[in-house]
Amino acid sequence: MDVVIQIIASGLTLGAIYAVSTVGLSLVYGSLNMLNMAHGALLALGGYICFYTMTAFGLPALAGVLAAIAVCGLVGLLIYFSTAAPMLEAPQFETRVFIATIGFGAVIENIVLRLFGPQPTRQPLKIAGDIVVGNVHIPNQNLLILAVALGLMVAVALLLKRSRLGRAIRATAQNREAAQLMGVRVGQIYALVLAISGGLAAISGIMVSSLSSLLPNMGGDPMLKAFIICILAGLGNVTGAVISAIGLGLLEATLQYNLGVQYSFALLLLLVIVVLIWRPHGLFGRQHVVRL
Amino acid sequence: MAEPLLSIDGLSAGYRGQHVLRGLSLAIPKGSFTAIVGPNGHGKSTLLRAISGLIKPTAGTIRLGEQRLDRLRPDQIVSAGVVQVPQGDLLFPEMTVLENLQMGAFLPSAAAHMSHRLEEVYALLPKLKERQDQVASTLSGGERRMVGIGRGLMADARLLLLDEPSLGLAPIIIDQIYQVVMALRRSGRTILLVEESATRVADKADRIHLLDHGAFVWSGAGSELMARPEILATYLGA
Repeated sequence: MDVVIQIIASGLTLGAIYAVSTVGLSLVYGSLNMLNMAHGALLALGGYICFYTMTAFGLPALAGVLAAIAVCGLVGLLIYFSTAAPMLEAPQFETRVFIATIGFGAVIENIVLRLFGPQPTRQPLKIAGDIVVGNVHIPNQNLLILAVALGLMVAVALLLKRSRLGRAIRATAQNREAAQLMGVRVGQIYALVLAISGGLAAISGIMVSSLSSLLPNMGGDPMLKAFIICILAGLGNVTGAVISAIGLGLLEATLQYNLGVQYSFALLLLLVIVVLIWRPHGLFGRQHVVRL
Repeated sequence: MAEPLLSIDGLSAGYRGQHVLRGLSLAIPKGSFTAIVGPNGHGKSTLLRAISGLIKPTAGTIRLGEQRLDRLRPDQIVSAGVVQVPQGDLLFPEMTVLENLQMGAFLPSAAAHMSHRLEEVYALLPKLKERQDQVASTLSGGERRMVGIGRGLMADARLLLLDEPSLGLAPIIIDQIYQVVMALRRSGRTILLVEESATRVADKADRIHLLDHGAFVWSGAGSELMARPEILATYLGA
């Protein structure tokens, strides 16, 4: 029983972290048909901004989180205006922007490396203590991550479903031209989506680094997992991405416990291949892609 | 002739360097129902796309009253009062009928009168009220077209552009669609409609313009057009 509790606790924490970074990626893909390869670098940037705000200025954790969200949100806007917007009308936009954001991500990663160095750094945003369920100690940090991720998912769902901005995001994703004819300024919506995605990446980066440590290339693994989840769920499907992220987190924790860490990633990739053979548009995707 | 609400002068536009519209000029009086007919692929929808700002003209001007539209973004053109009901099913497929209608009143000026407009749309198109919670992609072709028209009415349009509202529909549904268009006409709205078939609009529109290869080749009343079988045969294959 304790093993099950341990696997569920680890799996839910992993799933929560994956969900936050996957939703950001999925929002961007759903709206712009854009795979943002700079997402991983934004995760690292967010983690470091939080670290720097708290250690250099002695500010509380909340200020660190808000600063990270603000900076990564602004970088998201920069990605839109400098990279995506100029090639939006170009043929093969998806391929061009995919390559361009790889370059953008490399620039961010190298700036972080230059500013903070290559050595692992401890993320100061960490709460101490744990709770005991059965004989299993579950760190409060994991519970905090779970609660924040849950809160963010509800906030994103409410934003998309209930707000005027959310309706505009969904409308733009479902039919860009029709949205324009309703008076939606689609360029503004795209920029906002990238800013929101940047903010979510920052939170995800803080979460990841609070469980391990800060490294300039720390975003690579979560971004890869987020892509796997996006593909598994069906690209651009936000609800599917959240369900898949939690499911994948639980599966990864189970595989790690039973087979060892070295096999879990290979088996996850195998799972994606099987799912895509069985359902080429992902578990929650449709033949005619209707997103968000 | 009344002061024109929409004035187009020497308009040229197209796609990727190919000119579809070649120096068009057109004046649409306030409160009138104007129809543009012509064969497929000769620029009818391109004209509406240019008016709505979805493509930028390469030459000429488009004015709504005194305001230049040809330099504005699509959202600014909607804000100015030009609302287009596009060809086919350009709905938001995963939204409900109600959400699609609400998107029609997206701009703050229209959103302020949302509930009143919704009542008006439901009075004109009662079936939409029955279907308001249904997802748009599950509607029939005729119902989807009704949602498109209803959505166009949710904004406070000074000029309503209708792009082939009968396209791909059964004759009985086309009759219903045109009953709605005529109800709008009677309410005093200014309507610019494009259609492939002249016979469908000949007895309804105040003025008909025949578009061929991106230029107007004939203009006049519907009855005059129907009395010119040689024109119908040459340009419309009727």
